Amino acid sequence: MFRQSRDMAVHYLNVRCRVKGYWKYFLNKLGWFLITFVFAFLLNFILPRLMPGDPVAAIVSRLAQGMSNASGVQAIYQQYADLFGTNKPMLEQFFLYMRNVVHGDFGLSFSQYPRPVSEVLKASIGWTIALQFPAIIVGWLIGNTLGALAAYLKGSFDKILMPVSIFISNLPQFGMAVILLVVFAVNLKWFPTSGGYGFDLLPSFTWPFIWSVITHYQLPFWSIVLIAIGGQAIGMRSMAIYELNADYVKYSRFMGIKDRKIIGYVFRNAMLPQITGLALSIGTMVGGALVAEIIFSYPGLGTTLLNGVMGQDYPLISASTLIITVMVLTANFLLEILYGIIDPRIKAAQAD
Amino acid sequence: MANTMLEVHELTTKYVTRFREDVYAVDHVSLKVEEGRSLGIAGESGCGKSTLALSLMGYYFPPLHYMSGDIIIDGRNISGMNPDDVRKSILGREIAYIPQAAMNALNPTQKIIHFIEDVIQEHDMYVTKKDIYDRARKLFETVGLPAEVLEKYPVELSGGMKQRTVIAVSVLLLPKVLIADEPSSALDVTSQKMVIKMLKQLMEAGFISSMIFITHELPLLYNVTDDIMVMYAGQIVEKAAAQEAVFDPLHPYSKGLMGSIIVPEKGLRDVKLTAIPGVPPNLKKPPMGCRFAERCKLAKPECRVTSVPLRDAGNGRTYRCILSENELREAYAREASQNAK
Repeated sequence: MFRQSRDMAVHYLNVRCRVKGYWKYFLNKLGWFLITFVFAFLLNFILPRLMPGDPVAAIVSRLAQGMSNASGVQAIYQQYADLFGTNKPMLEQFFLYMRNVVHGDFGLSFSQYPRPVSEVLKASIGWTIALQFPAIIVGWLIGNTLGALAAYLKGSFDKILMPVSIFISNLPQFGMAVILLVVFAVNLKWFPTSGGYGFDLLPSFTWPFIWSVITHYQLPFWSIVLIAIGGQAIGMRSMAIYELNADYVKYSRFMGIKDRKIIGYVFRNAMLPQITGLALSIGTMVGGALVAEIIFSYPGLGTTLLNGVMGQDYPLISASTLIITVMVLTANFLLEILYGIIDPRIKAAQAD
Repeated sequence: MANTMLEVHELTTKYVTRFREDVYAVDHVSLKVEEGRSLGIAGESGCGKSTLALSLMGYYFPPLHYMSGDIIIDGRNISGMNPDDVRKSILGREIAYIPQAAMNALNPTQKIIHFIEDVIQEHDMYVTKKDIYDRARKLFETVGLPAEVLEKYPVELSGGMKQRTVIAVSVLLLPKVLIADEPSSALDVTSQKMVIKMLKQLMEAGFISSMIFITHELPLLYNVTDDIMVMYAGQIVEKAAAQEAVFDPLHPYSKGLMGSIIVPEKGLRDVKLTAIPGVPPNLKKPPMGCRFAERCKLAKPECRVTSVPLRDAGNGRTYRCILSENELREAYAREASQNAK
């Protein structure tokens, strides 16, 4: 009787310790997440405001064109400075900003006054996600399939694919974008050069508009996909070659397991590090499209951010960089938490 | 007369290198293992021991290729069979293999029981998972492994535990022949002992009917196996009962091999260790005559010209040398008396 209850107590303690170990790991990661977030938030606020120049003066000079009355101009300046809060001390501005962000209010955009920042972002973030998310997924899938095939088939397939992949993956994004732009838009004239849809169209659910969106989509999309394919294929190929030569492959073969199943083992194991890459690129998705969006003047977050920087639009810059920061941090955090579930080796290490 | 479990007749296999060169790593090897017996294979690194182990499975993938010869398992010749039939009905079932680095022989992201399920389902489609679990648990308990191991991932096991798990998985389908390729070489002495004990137990309990044990550690062979076969440069150079092979070797290579190790018996302190000079020949271009001639103290000019066949020395003992049993023994005695002076 006593022994039994003691055994149960020991078992209970063991289970609790293991759970506690994972909790500790989780809280540790959460702590780092919060600390990083606070610093990123501070920098997001301060850095844009360190730019030289006075954005309010720029707006006023635009509005006051042709006005000769100096005190009138002064009054308009005062009014806008009050509205944006730029005449308050920096610290007070920060606390105001923080309070507003907590309430989901990012303020008014300077450069696109009187539109609120949240509205500007809402209009552009959809374009970015629609461009980036499929591009990342397609690039990842094609790249991994090609890399795995190269490792498995070897021979000439491998010998052609590898140099091409290395070449493509080392092209800078703007290089790829410019090459596609010159070849397919300027010389061949198959696709339009810029924008999210034709300038002469209004957004609507009509065939001409949808077709225009599709044709405008192709070049920025492929400029991202091609580079992703190259990088993923290289990574997957070397991982798969490593796994194909692992001892468990030989042993499984000699235990009579069919090749198809062994390839399943191999690619599952080779895939694990690739999943990290996928999660990271989904996290950095919003920031990652800047170059492609800017070159093709795609109406996404990248172009918006560029316009914000050009117009010294602090609220817009802070809000867009905040979105990027939060997405990167969250993706990293989720990845670290989820990875332990996918890979038992990590779980074993975490429990220590 | 016991049944012959494994009979190999003039088996030749080759490696094809990246530069399309042929390397005959197993050259006309014949051997025979009877029910309840174990055969040890000894030799230096690069003598074709492991390749012989792979070749015996009858299932070849590049760079190893089958050339000629027969592998007969319990009366059934498997060397002419279609590879997919070999895979389904021979591997794991008739002949099983324990790899050299069994520590890494398990898929790191698969629980042991799931691998066992894959193995059994490959050979027997109509078993339920519950049956598989019960069968595996029973086997694991018989060989002294806790049943919890089944639900674990390989990373959660120690090296010795992994090794024993691999052995247990290998004998799951009660193979007639078990080929153990240096199953204990990467382990500490305690784990080694457990592995050896386990293999002996499996033989006694009838989980396996015969065993081929490959190692370069001769004292181990002497303790584990009934017969010992010495390989050199892809060929058999001597085959004898374990006792004879260790304490009364005939072939100069076996003699050198046995002289270079410590057998912890019979006046160990007086034994002087000697090394064999030189390295094994390159098998891309094997020497015309005796393959050991370059390194042999007793070599004569004719050794390098004519190839030497295996000679019968009675009692199932064979050796590959142009000198007769008596000539060899005299030479060894002369050498011993010289050393004593």
